[in-house]
Amino acid sequence: MTATARPGAHLAYREGSPLALEADYIVVGSGSGGSPAALVLARAGYSVALLEAGPWRDADDYPATMLGVMRDLFPNWGATVAVGNSILPIVQAQLVGGGTVINSAIMVRTPGDVVASWASDHGLGDVLNPGNMGPALDRIESELHVADSLEDTGAARFGGSNQRLLDGLRAGGLSAHPTRRNVRGCQGQSRCLQGCRLGAKQSSNIGWIPEVLSLGGTVLSCAPVQRVQIVDGRAVGVQGRFRHPQTRRAGARFIVRARRGVLLAASATGTAPLLQRSGVRSPALGRFWRAHPGAGIIGVYPDVIDMYEGVTQGTASIHHRGEHGLKLESLALPLELVAGRTSGGGKQLTARLGDIRHQAMWISAVRAEAVGTVRQGRLGGVRVAYEPTRRDLERLRLGSALLARTHFAQGASRVRPGVVGLPFEIGPDEVHLLEQAPLHNRAWTWVLSHLFGGAVLGADPNTSVVAPDLHVRGVRDLHVVDASALPTTLGVNPQHTIMAVAWIIADRLANDDRTRTKSASKRD
Amino acid sequence: MLTRTLAWVLAATFPSSGDLPGLDSLDVRPSLRQLQREAAPVFALGLYGSTVAFLLCPLLTVGWPLPAFLLPRRVLDRHAHAMAGHRFYLVRQAMLMIKTVGAALWGAHPAVRSQLGLAAYEPDPGTFRGDHVVPQTPRSAPQPAEIQP
Repeated sequence: MTATARPGAHLAYREGSPLALEADYIVVGSGSGGSPAALVLARAGYSVALLEAGPWRDADDYPATMLGVMRDLFPNWGATVAVGNSILPIVQAQLVGGGTVINSAIMVRTPGDVVASWASDHGLGDVLNPGNMGPALDRIESELHVADSLEDTGAARFGGSNQRLLDGLRAGGLSAHPTRRNVRGCQGQSRCLQGCRLGAKQSSNIGWIPEVLSLGGTVLSCAPVQRVQIVDGRAVGVQGRFRHPQTRRAGARFIVRARRGVLLAASATGTAPLLQRSGVRSPALGRFWRAHPGAGIIGVYPDVIDMYEGVTQGTASIHHRGEHGLKLESLALPLELVAGRTSGGGKQLTARLGDIRHQAMWISAVRAEAVGTVRQGRLGGVRVAYEPTRRDLERLRLGSALLARTHFAQGASRVRPGVVGLPFEIGPDEVHLLEQAPLHNRAWTWVLSHLFGGAVLGADPNTSVVAPDLHVRGVRDLHVVDASALPTTLGVNPQHTIMAVAWIIADRLANDDRTRTKSASKRD
Repeated sequence: MLTRTLAWVLAATFPSSGDLPGLDSLDVRPSLRQLQREAAPVFALGLYGSTVAFLLCPLLTVGWPLPAFLLPRRVLDRHAHAMAGHRFYLVRQAMLMIKTVGAALWGAHPAVRSQLGLAAYEPDPGTFRGDHVVPQTPRSAPQPAEIQP
């Protein structure tokens, strides 16, 4: 016997009878790709079932500590890593709203050169061109209240670390700006990573997904999809089994039937393995996996900086994006993460954290040229193989040295590079040590936060999984609408671009569908 | 036994220093037990493996052919420090795993935060939304027939 769900319902973890439901469209994943896709289709009048592997946590449910963040917000307690000649942690979220809940809310419009390269190198000019990217980006900016973080928060709450980076880069002749973010009344508590308990961050679980529900959509949380059902070359639904978010106990099975199509937005580590589990075959599946690896540099100042009083990431610079593929940003990581990243152990380690209020962390992220793979692992997890290249390391080193100089120019007395083989701290006349730091991944504390690829869009069947007409090659009515479809890195924060691409694809599907239905009724 | 060993290794990694309390003077066993109960298997495996590495590595780090728990306190502190910067990558990675968990317990503790002048954290609710039916509102979105091609 199976249970059914009524439209407009959120269904969480359950045990017992299998659950069966039907919708026009199924969207798998509720982050920056899935949520706008579900919204566009729901607004167009289609019934939508939105499935998310993690639970739905509201602002009151968000954790405060990093242990809570690992348990409640990260998949596998944050143990997802990319492995090459070093082990690189991957920062992702698994809950309704996905990465939009834990990111710093930064919204950057897709750079023109990226859209141009998608057209010229990947044959996507008909789908993703300035003519439709522009309006989609505008619409999203307006819906999510994107504003300059300094203006939104006010100078008093912008934060000393953010202000110093802004002043320092500008004084050094580099263009830098307060980040533009989708927030409303940010109080500058530097708690973006924990999810915004004040509800200031306009993550998709705040506005878009509740709207999908109010339009009659159904949301399944704690519902990891095991496979897409493909019958006679057409995606007809998905199946999986509820999983309790804390005990990980398997609950009831679920089957969702799709009348019109299935859209995958299970993240750059989730979508390609899901396609593999579903029997999709493509020479490009799981390949062309890319990232923006980054590493932090800590400046220690004689005066109190209090990086936890301010916007989490208030300042950014893409001055060197073109020439060096560099993105420089301020970042207030929670004390627990700074403590884990500070070199040393024992009494020395504890003592090194005593000046936390004098520290300011800035990061250098690289538009890496490295290309990796993502595959379904044998034990149920995913395997990401990825190794930044020597050129990526050179760029990281350049960005780190630039930030170290900026710290000193802003009055820092010491800089902590966090690079194995270098002293724990360097002084103003020792930046050359950082400029000559080892070019080996194992020496640097990289973190991967912006991920791309694995099921990329493109015109060439050998190098793309999704055709320019938006369907997964070889399967009708199956689409990819998240970062895994992006054929290149961006060199800027990808959230806005992912949303816009998903928006455009969903909008096209809705319109194509309408045209098809119209033609069919004319024939009848 | 496992909790005690883990707590001991974490305390050796984040001991008290000057006015700053360390995990040797704070009772984090309840949090640790909760972590052991709830952690994802792959995470727990990494943590236990790293704990074993910490116990067995003094020969590599300080040249003492003894497990870490038999080291004099001063040498143990040198061992913890040396592991973090060891030339063997896997030794460093094991220490990174221990530091990640130790830092999560240490940095969240109210006594540490108070000493550092940082606001205390609220408790982690650990809650999530259950089933919920949304009352239907009148449709304002365009119907399919109204969408322009």
